[in-house]
Amino acid sequence: MHLFLIYTVDGITNGMVYAAVALALVMIWRATRIINYAQGAMAMFTTYIALIVIRHGAPYWLGFVVALATGLVIGAVTERVLVRPVESRPPLNAVILSLGVLILLEAIAPMLFGGQTQSFPVPVSNTDLLVGGTSLDISPFALFTIGAVLIAMLLLFLVFQRTTLGLRMRAAAFNPEIARILGIRVGRMLTLGWGLAALLGALAGMLAAPSVYLYPSNMDEVLVFGFTGAIIGGLESPVGAVAGAVGVGLALSYVSGYVGSDLAPLGGFAILIVVLMLRPQGLFSFGRQRQV
Amino acid sequence: MLEISDLTVAYGGVIALENVSLSVPEGSITAVLGANGAGKTTLVRTISGLIKPRHGSVMLGTQQLVGRSPEAIARLGVGHVPEGHGIVSELTVDENLRLGGLWRRDRADQRVAIEEAYELFPPLRVRRAVHASNLSGGERQMLSIGRAMVARPTALLLDEPSLGLAGGLLAQIMQRLVALVTERKLSVLLIEQNARSALSVADQAVVLSLGKVELRDRADRLAGDDALRHAYLGF
Amino acid sequence: MSTALRGSTLLRHGLFFLALALVLLLLTSFVFDAYTNYNVTEVAIYAISAAGLTVLTGINGQVSLGHGALMMIGAYTTSVLLTWHPDLPMILMLLVSIATTGIAGAIVGIAGARLRGPYLAGATLALAVALPQVPSHFASVFGGNQGLTVVSPAPPAFLGANFSPEQWLAWITLAAAVITFFVLANLVRGATGRRFRMVRDNEVAARLAGIDVARTQVLAYMISAACAGLAGSLFAYWVTLTSPSGFTLTLSLSLLTAVVIGGLGSLTGAVLGSFVLVYLPVKTGDLATTLNLPSNIANNVPTAIYGIVLIVAILVFPRGIAGGIASIVRGAGRIVRSSRSPAALPASPESPSQ
Ligand SMILES: Nc1ncnc2c1ncn2[C@@H]1O[C@H](COP(=O)(O)OP(=O)(O)OP(=O)(O)O)[C@@H](O)[C@H]1O
Ligand SMILES: [Mg+2]
Repeated sequence: MHLFLIYTVDGITNGMVYAAVALALVMIWRATRIINYAQGAMAMFTTYIALIVIRHGAPYWLGFVVALATGLVIGAVTERVLVRPVESRPPLNAVILSLGVLILLEAIAPMLFGGQTQSFPVPVSNTDLLVGGTSLDISPFALFTIGAVLIAMLLLFLVFQRTTLGLRMRAAAFNPEIARILGIRVGRMLTLGWGLAALLGALAGMLAAPSVYLYPSNMDEVLVFGFTGAIIGGLESPVGAVAGAVGVGLALSYVSGYVGSDLAPLGGFAILIVVLMLRPQGLFSFGRQRQV
Repeated sequence: MLEISDLTVAYGGVIALENVSLSVPEGSITAVLGANGAGKTTLVRTISGLIKPRHGSVMLGTQQLVGRSPEAIARLGVGHVPEGHGIVSELTVDENLRLGGLWRRDRADQRVAIEEAYELFPPLRVRRAVHASNLSGGERQMLSIGRAMVARPTALLLDEPSLGLAGGLLAQIMQRLVALVTERKLSVLLIEQNARSALSVADQAVVLSLGKVELRDRADRLAGDDALRHAYLGF
Repeated sequence: MSTALRGSTLLRHGLFFLALALVLLLLTSFVFDAYTNYNVTEVAIYAISAAGLTVLTGINGQVSLGHGALMMIGAYTTSVLLTWHPDLPMILMLLVSIATTGIAGAIVGIAGARLRGPYLAGATLALAVALPQVPSHFASVFGGNQGLTVVSPAPPAFLGANFSPEQWLAWITLAAAVITFFVLANLVRGATGRRFRMVRDNEVAARLAGIDVARTQVLAYMISAACAGLAGSLFAYWVTLTSPSGFTLTLSLSLLTAVVIGGLGSLTGAVLGSFVLVYLPVKTGDLATTLNLPSNIANNVPTAIYGIVLIVAILVFPRGIAGGIASIVRGAGRIVRSSRSPAALPASPESPSQ
């Protein structure tokens, strides 16, 4: 029972990191009907930049802010320069393009930062909290991880639901043509959407790095698990993406705890297949079907 | 004044509009009539900048619209109620209305404009927090027109606003429209399948056929001339 | 089309591929050195797998980001059987690997036939990440992370004492590739290929025409997997060590990108893409060494260039090398009249939208 608690806490913590990636993927999917397979690689890149900042003596928080800001810029530039030309083309174009970006970033990173695995600092302790001598089975960093992702989600929710900028972005995503005849600069909204998604990815990168360490392909699995969560959630729904990703986190944690850590990805694959066989469009995909 | 001259539009190699010229003076309604596939939607989409013409010009006042992006054209004062109403069904009624003038600097007047839209179409007010996907066909049409009005356009393009509307409701909406046109000095391009109702509110009518202007006349004369009506409008 | 004509198409194909086989035989025996033979073998292995993926993604419109996992099934089938019975003949290993991977492909295909666009892509991606974990967990059967060694078959005695095992493997692999392409070329041009394309272009129309869409998709997956299994088995003999690290996500992504770079939907494109996949790193690696770059840069130059090639190819040459060559050939006669924007990749049901 105690072990179960530990695995559950672990699963939720990792799941929140996957949730950040899943949410980033869903934001981009909703706006541009593109899956950004380079989402993880972009996050890896921004995490390296944070590491450099921190290694130069700057406090963790400066590195943190720099990572998120670079994420925003990388995402926006990628959309504007690379993705824009393929947005209106058949979907495979964008798939290959984002794979190209993924491959390129993972090759440039070792050139710039060295290819060896590096440890990554935490802003708060990574060991479990003790209260009156008994362990609470959760570390301050785990709490920070969960809190940071929740706050990021809350902020995004407020931006999208409560500001006119968010209204513009939603209109651009839901119906670009109508948005344009209403005077909304849809291109800018897409650029901004990619930027915000990459910012969220950068957050995931910062939160994942202390446990998965930092190396050029360190986010590959995180991306796959985030994507798995997003698909389980139905790709269209932010809430679904978060729920799906936390579910994946829990499943992986239980499988690796009770069965064997090397089988965790297989567990993720298994629940994905089970969900998709029951509901080929994911769990939260009711409503908006843009089928031919 | 909306002035279209010599407008030619093609889809690939297929000509959809050929040398179309017409002008819509301020404070007046021009009805564009024609069979399915005549090119009516193509005409308004080209004015909005959604389709690039092969050649020709569209002037709004002193501004050339051809060559500008749809968002720029909207900001110059062209309101477009697209075919099939084009409301964003994932957003609420209120959000849809707000979308109408999001780009405007004058936030205070924007609020006034939204309030006016609710006054224009009271049924929308009770449903303001409802997702637009839950609206009836008539309510959607009202929302679409109301949304276009929120931006305080100088030219209004209405692409079959009667689609799916009950006759009585249609007459109501048309009446309000006529009042607005004179009050706001709007130039309205009204596309209609239902020629009878369009002619009853329009000042001028243009009949399109296979992409060409086949007839252009005063609306009352067209409505009153049985021979013309039979020949071109079939009623 | 009369049967006689179809028979003669088959005949023409047969003659063409026979001639091709002869040329390759001469090249590998008398022209190429050992290193070239080694690389050519690799190209042929990738080409077999890429050809299968061409049928699946290019012709049938199903995206697979997990074809490396299928190659892995082929490779492990061969390697596990050989650790149990080292004397089993290679031809049998190839056939058994084709069968097991074909069956695995049918299972994936049955699941995949219900999925569209990113859902299918995501499921295959998860497979590509998950499957390599199996050997590490069941180390007693699959040799764990160290992997299983495979001995490349010795050439038959009548070829002489100087005939190297590398050369023999090159022969076998090229023969396998020629046969694969012969079979696929006929399949693609025949009724099956037509059905594949109809399902890709318009599922509803295909259904109205009486085609069982799901069955067609499963068949495409099975054929594609069989190719991957053959390639995987050959891969095991070529590397002589089968371990999870040989079947990373990178392999799966490389295969898909090679297919697109070569020219999606064209078997010639699969070969061209495989050449790029093998020779781009070799050539750029050579370049990096001659430039005396530090190792962390030199080691990654090939991959970086591959990434750039992918991006540029999609932006400028979306129909791939094969499509590019075709349009250059077509355009050669007439002077370029207007600067047309590059045509996009053909549609595939990657997204359920629009
Ligand atoms: N996107 C398009 N691509 C190719 N051809 C088109 C396209 N849109 C319209 N057309 C063709 O252009 C012609 C004019 O179409 P348009 O939609 O402007 O007609 P319409 O007068 O609005 O008809 P309706 O009364 O049915 O709405 C038609 O022949 C139509 O088939
Ligand atoms: Mg129309």
